[in-house]
Amino acid sequence: MWARTRPAARAWPLAPARRGRGAARRLPGPLATAARAVLGLWLMVVLVALWWVLSRDSTSPYFPPLRAIVDRLVDLWIVGSAKAELVPSLEHFAVGYALAGVLGIVTGAVLWRLRWLREATSPMLYFCYVLPSAATLPALITIFGIGDTMKIMVIALAAVWPTLLNTVDGMKGVDPLKLDTASVLHLSQAQTLRWVVLPAALPQIVAGLRSSLQIAIILMVVSELVASTTGIGFFILNAQQSFAIIDMWTGIIVLAFVGTALNVIFVLIERRVLAWYYGARATQEAA
Amino acid sequence: MKALVWRVARVGARVGVVLAVLLAWQALSATGALPSQEFPSATGTFAALGRVLQSAELWHAIRDTLAGWALGLLIGASLAILIGTVLGLNRFAYRSAIPVIEFLKTVPIIAILPLAILLFGATLKMKFLLIAFGVFWPMVIQVIYGVRSIDPTVRDTARVLQLRGARRFAVVTMPSAAPFIMTGLRVAAATALVLDIVAELIGGGAGLGLSILFAQNAGPSEVTTMYAYIVVTGLLGVLVTGLFILLERRVLHWHPSQRNLRPQDVG
Repeated sequence: MWARTRPAARAWPLAPARRGRGAARRLPGPLATAARAVLGLWLMVVLVALWWVLSRDSTSPYFPPLRAIVDRLVDLWIVGSAKAELVPSLEHFAVGYALAGVLGIVTGAVLWRLRWLREATSPMLYFCYVLPSAATLPALITIFGIGDTMKIMVIALAAVWPTLLNTVDGMKGVDPLKLDTASVLHLSQAQTLRWVVLPAALPQIVAGLRSSLQIAIILMVVSELVASTTGIGFFILNAQQSFAIIDMWTGIIVLAFVGTALNVIFVLIERRVLAWYYGARATQEAA
Repeated sequence: MKALVWRVARVGARVGVVLAVLLAWQALSATGALPSQEFPSATGTFAALGRVLQSAELWHAIRDTLAGWALGLLIGASLAILIGTVLGLNRFAYRSAIPVIEFLKTVPIIAILPLAILLFGATLKMKFLLIAFGVFWPMVIQVIYGVRSIDPTVRDTARVLQLRGARRFAVVTMPSAAPFIMTGLRVAAATALVLDIVAELIGGGAGLGLSILFAQNAGPSEVTTMYAYIVVTGLLGVLVTGLFILLERRVLHWHPSQRNLRPQDVG
């Protein structure tokens, strides 16, 4: 199916390391952990060091010395007031993404229940899913103006589709045997949904939420690049347009860390919510 | 016979829903529930669509958009397959590189758009380099996992048969990784189009994104044209995604994931 995203491959850095492999096998616990940490981090350290050294005497206006960028980053984002730019961005993101998630799961569940509606609307949904969402930005600006509402709607309307389609797909894939068991046990429809369908579909719903997350982050920035006077996206573009190249670089780096942080938070929640699923899968793989 | 009736009913229902949405749209415009300044009527939009379909401008925009999309996807995906294979085959390289790649994957690519604009201006080069950079990271991860997902039996068989080098790569590694690579390509194709439109909309590169922006800036009289361009962009998305789903089925017709597709599952 076109909407299907693979359930998440185990994601660094929170994935449990596989035991008994390679050099780590012969080392006792703490040493093995240290060895893994070194193996995982040395390249990152080398690359950053290379950037630092190679850019040290850089006179290129576009690639200033990393040292200058870091100094400025501390001044602007840690000591200074630029971090206030993050507040509106993250607010829009949080509201828009939450809206997309709730709307996607609820609508997906309704479409799963009403097969005829699902079949009939599928070309419409497909069109919305593949339409590059940024293309609707000018239209949404015309409709909602250039305030907070527009930004939230841009994020929600773009991010809702992967969650919606994965919810439908995941619920369709529930083992019929489980549904039969539920009906034999006289579970009500609500109970079936809560205790049978939702858990079975959850891995795929989470995969959908993960795709939606990436889209929401992108649209959070894009909405600030077009018509805005606040937010991290605006900060970066404004710095670029006023040739404050070092400021622009600090914005890019901060945005990189924000993106990573949001993903890490997502994985943390995912591991908590889907702990039973990964546990069951690990048992299956080991057997 | 029953299956046929069911299929006809389904197609009918789908067409019906599309028509119903268009009719509702038209009705809402006609009664004034949708302000025509911001949201033109369905007929107005489709009249504009008919008009722009005849203009050379639209076809140039489509050409420019597709050029950036294709070049970016080609460069990004080729590099990802090449580097991903190397990293997937060597455990040390894999363990060392994966944290860096996972980090870079989560960096919103949009963040480097201002840098790309600064370096290359509103050019085709800006578009395809941004796209190549954007599709490389998710794609390379797919390739690495694909190369590493090889069935132990197949791997041991290849070892017993003493397959090595290019032969092993062609008959063992690539077929194992193919489903992952195709999924990666399909996702990359869609991502590339999104980045393309954003680069045009914000970076000012020629293409559909810029045409939408121009129509918006032209004011209320051109609002139908803007919607016409948006519809065209959506159709391009349908075309591109459909193309890659077909390609995936064609290339992987032998793979279990593509077999036993019940007709109602193809959607």
